[in-house]
Amino acid sequence: MRVVVAEDLFLLREGLSRLLEAHGCEIAAAVGDGPALVEALLSERPDVAIVDVRLPPTFTDEGLRAALAARRQLPGLPVLVLSQYVEQLYARELLADRAGGVGYLLKDRVFTDDQFMDALRTVAAGGSVMDPEVVAKLLVRHARDEPVTRLTDRERDVLALMAEGRSNNAIAQHLFVSEKAVSKHCTSIFDKLGLPPSENDNRRVLAVLAYLNS
Amino acid sequence: MTIMDTFSAKRRMPALASLPAWPRVQALVRTAGWGILLVPVLVLIGTQFTRTIPWPVMAILAVVMIVLAPALAADLAALGLIGFGLYAVYFALRTPGPDNTIHPTSVHAQPGGYYKVLNQQPSFLGSTYGHGVLLDLVAGVLLLALGCWLVPRTIGRHARLATRNAALASRVSRLTETRGAAVDTASAELRRVERDLHDGAQARLVALGINLRAAEHMIRTNPDAALALVAESRRNSARALGELRALVRGIVPPVLADRGLPDAIQALALDSPLATEVDMRLPGRPPMPVESAVYYAVAEALANAAKHAGASQVHIRAAHQAGMLRIEVTDDGHGGADPARGSGLRGIERRLGTFDGILAVSSPPGGPTIIVIEVPCALSSPKTSSC
Repeated sequence: MRVVVAEDLFLLREGLSRLLEAHGCEIAAAVGDGPALVEALLSERPDVAIVDVRLPPTFTDEGLRAALAARRQLPGLPVLVLSQYVEQLYARELLADRAGGVGYLLKDRVFTDDQFMDALRTVAAGGSVMDPEVVAKLLVRHARDEPVTRLTDRERDVLALMAEGRSNNAIAQHLFVSEKAVSKHCTSIFDKLGLPPSENDNRRVLAVLAYLNS
Repeated sequence: MTIMDTFSAKRRMPALASLPAWPRVQALVRTAGWGILLVPVLVLIGTQFTRTIPWPVMAILAVVMIVLAPALAADLAALGLIGFGLYAVYFALRTPGPDNTIHPTSVHAQPGGYYKVLNQQPSFLGSTYGHGVLLDLVAGVLLLALGCWLVPRTIGRHARLATRNAALASRVSRLTETRGAAVDTASAELRRVERDLHDGAQARLVALGINLRAAEHMIRTNPDAALALVAESRRNSARALGELRALVRGIVPPVLADRGLPDAIQALALDSPLATEVDMRLPGRPPMPVESAVYYAVAEALANAAKHAGASQVHIRAAHQAGMLRIEVTDDGHGGADPARGSGLRGIERRLGTFDGILAVSSPPGGPTIIVIEVPCALSSPKTSSC
């Protein structure tokens, strides 16, 4: 996997690069500001980009804007956005083009490197990964909505994990149930929320996120 | 009239008619009082001194007084002109006419039982008897006219200054009060940050160091226990990060710093469990401290709507007009909110007060609750994005 890393703090950039190399990734470019990121994304066309939201020169949401700008030119370019905080507003902007291949995680999710690498691979494959904090907030907002109240507790757990971007297999492992049980829950959730059924994992996640973001 | 109007008033002598009703009445009463005292005194002074000092000199002195006098005394000097004018007219009328008929007032009783006509007495203009009567009359009428023209204008200026002084005094006391509140709020905030760091992230970092040191010792003799300690250290560092994140959010909310007020309030709306509609278009950004105060005010209003009002829908409207940022938060809850009871809203009010902002709450029982936030501020032109 060829990866572009955008992070302005040298220590974190190096640490991230080392971690990725240890997992067999190739660092196509490691940049430290917004304009350099856009340039690297357009020239390198990596399999996936890891982008810090806050980058120089403005030290605002420069990284997010650069990633969105690059995705406008290269639709579906996989981008995993890392940040010290997660905001529903930014998650919504990342998901707005419905092309998939986006991720939005807290920086400390890097600590659990196996899950982080899973997330990175999902994004690179065109899937969507949302931080559990974003998903929790999305669910809080819909907690009182009629269709969501009809879900069972277990179904709500599955919905949350699905919105985070996990595969049926990962959900099954996480909840200590069989994959078949998970897929049964998924069918039931889609039924209750009135979403069209889909066999494709990635499209299913996008549908769930679009529903929760509405 | 607001304080701002007073400060932007042009530096000219305003006509009395341009004053609002109450200051005008005050000014008229004040000057009338002085007039009753001053005019007879000046007439008296005129009758005593114009024999030695010619009246044009006195009139010039009066005009110089008006020009040099501080605004507060100019109207009194103008009254002086009226006094001199009255005296000149009086003098002209009491002087015998050109046919030499003796006016009773100019006939003085003499010792020896007969009357002598004082025909050598100088006229008001300093000329001898019988001359310059017309000139005296014209001069007197001119002085009177000038005085009458000047008095209302100088009273206006006097009153305007008095109003401005009163406004300044109330402004100073307001500033003293809000400055005190701002300093209190800032130091309380710093104490909270210090306490949170001390009990949270700092303590976790200490524990982290201790654990890592213990792991260092155990790594050869008991690798499993060392591994467990390292794993715990990693979890602790994640918790410390979480606490720091919450702390930073309390100091400057990230979206506010990144994008400004409209997007930050949009983010608040997204985080709120209520269906929240945001209608907000600002042509520029308010100053950072104002943005921050307004953001926390809206956050508090939203939190109250969710926690206490039992609302299901919230509407946030914002606009900037005539130098005033106005935000209205309306919820469809059961109302009955009392800003005097909740410490949250009072704190917000204090914070807004630092910027001369106000918070008004209308919450009749049964709802709806409308919270209006108004802060006078200028907007800076929007920054052009670099990408």
